Amino acid sequence: MNIFFQQLLNGLTLGSVYSLVALGLTLVYGILHIPNFAHGALYMVGAYMAFFATGSLGANYWVAMAASAAAVALLAVLSERLVFHRLRHAPPLHDMIAAIGLLLFLEAVIQAVWGADFRRLPSPYPQIVRAFDLTAPAQRLMIIAAAFGLMAGLHLFLKRTILGSTIVAMAQNREGAALVGIDATRVSMLTFAISGALAAVAATLFAPINLIYPAMGHLVIMKAFVIIILGGMGSIPGAIVGAMVIGFAESFGAFYVSTDYKDIIAFALLVLILSVRPQGLFTRGVR
Amino acid sequence: MLRLDGVTLNYGSFRALDGIGMHVKSGELVVMLGANGAGKSSLFLAVSGLRRLASGSIKVDGDEITGRKPSSIVQAGLVQCPEGRKLFPEMSVKKNLILGAYVYRNDKKANQRMLERVYGMFPILHGKRDAAAGSLSGGQQQMVAIGRALMGRPRVLLLDEPSLGLAPLIVKQVLEAVKAINEAGTTVLLAEQNAYAALQIAHRAYVIESGRIVMEGDRETLLGDERIRKAYIGA
Ligand SMILES: Nc1ncnc2c1ncn2[C@@H]1O[C@H](COP(=O)(O)OP(=O)(O)O)[C@@H](O)[C@H]1O
Ligand SMILES: [Mg+2]
Repeated sequence: MNIFFQQLLNGLTLGSVYSLVALGLTLVYGILHIPNFAHGALYMVGAYMAFFATGSLGANYWVAMAASAAAVALLAVLSERLVFHRLRHAPPLHDMIAAIGLLLFLEAVIQAVWGADFRRLPSPYPQIVRAFDLTAPAQRLMIIAAAFGLMAGLHLFLKRTILGSTIVAMAQNREGAALVGIDATRVSMLTFAISGALAAVAATLFAPINLIYPAMGHLVIMKAFVIIILGGMGSIPGAIVGAMVIGFAESFGAFYVSTDYKDIIAFALLVLILSVRPQGLFTRGVR
Repeated sequence: MLRLDGVTLNYGSFRALDGIGMHVKSGELVVMLGANGAGKSSLFLAVSGLRRLASGSIKVDGDEITGRKPSSIVQAGLVQCPEGRKLFPEMSVKKNLILGAYVYRNDKKANQRMLERVYGMFPILHGKRDAAAGSLSGGQQQMVAIGRALMGRPRVLLLDEPSLGLAPLIVKQVLEAVKAINEAGTTVLLAEQNAYAALQIAHRAYVIESGRIVMEGDRETLLGDERIRKAYIGA
């Protein structure tokens, strides 16, 4: 029972982190119509920003998370202004090449400053929580709670506020949005800022039970792509459900099959699901 | 109120609009007649700032709006209900309408009044206010599109072929709504292929062919014109 519960908890933790990364990716896809390969680098930079804030500046974990979210949001907006906005009339392939260039650039900068060594972020909650014969590391519970809280907040923002609706409107009909007076530039900047902040929060949440290193974004972003392809590109519920599917598949796969194959499971699932449902699990756009 | 001079627009090497000159006076309902591919939508999109002019000028109340952003043109009082409607299909009818008032988003009271007015004009939309806009019939979607444009409080309303693809009875209903909107004080520029129906409600009309204005006149003149009858009315 406890072992099954552990896997459930692990799956939920992974799914929570993947959700936050995939949500940013899918939101930007809805606006830009290209997969932003640089998103994984934003995630990585987020982890380093939190590491820097707690380690070198001695900040509290939550303050570090907020600072990291703000810094990466700014970085994401800069990437939109300096790179993607300038390519808006160029063929989509140029965006993709630029995104890969940005990814390599950010990794090189981080490696130049902090080196290629593995780093650790100490957990603010190293305790183990016990209830009904079950045990759970507090950090994992916190990741799940924070991620779900953030998802609920994002949902309310997109559905209930006019500002949030401009993102959804632009994803659903770009010219329609322009014709009601929604400024495409502002919406793009806002979307990038949100995606950057989500990536930084995901990285800061996950870092205490993981390692920080310049290439840490690779596997995460690949899985986030798998997730949004599974969930339907641009679909928000799809990103969350897809992330949970991958999270559970990995945790149970690692336990019942083998930890060695843990990272292959996501891709195996992709092939499997797409061969049955080529349009993904959800086909509608951003909602 | 709205004045275009020498408006020229190219798609690559293809010239879609060639020196268009026209105007709409305050309170008028002017129809832009033209066959499919004549350049009506290109003209409207250019006026709304979604297509860049090669040359020419577009003025609202004497203010140059050429080269301005679409959002700034909406703010200037020029609102378009586009061809194909361009609704937000997965949002509710009500949300579509509310977003129509985006540039006045802080004036909630006036928007609520405007919303009541739109529901008064198209009662069916009130019943469907929580349904996804994309799930409505073509005629109802057209009503949402017109309503959404009205929520932007247009001083000049541009309507691009609102009757396209609708059943004759619905066309009549939509055009009557357009007439009512104009009679309530909004200046209207209406693009249509359906000359007979459109001329019924128009004060004046222009005829556009291959990106050029080829004829202009008031309703009676055009209704009586032999070429118009042949080309656009088929009688
Ligand atoms: N985005 C575009 N790129 C290239 N050609 C276009 C584009 N939009 C319209 N055209 C061409 O411009 C001409 C005018 O089209 P349009 O303005 O849509 O006419 P209308 O609305 O009167 O049917 C047509 O020949 C059409 O093929
Ligand atoms: Mg047209």
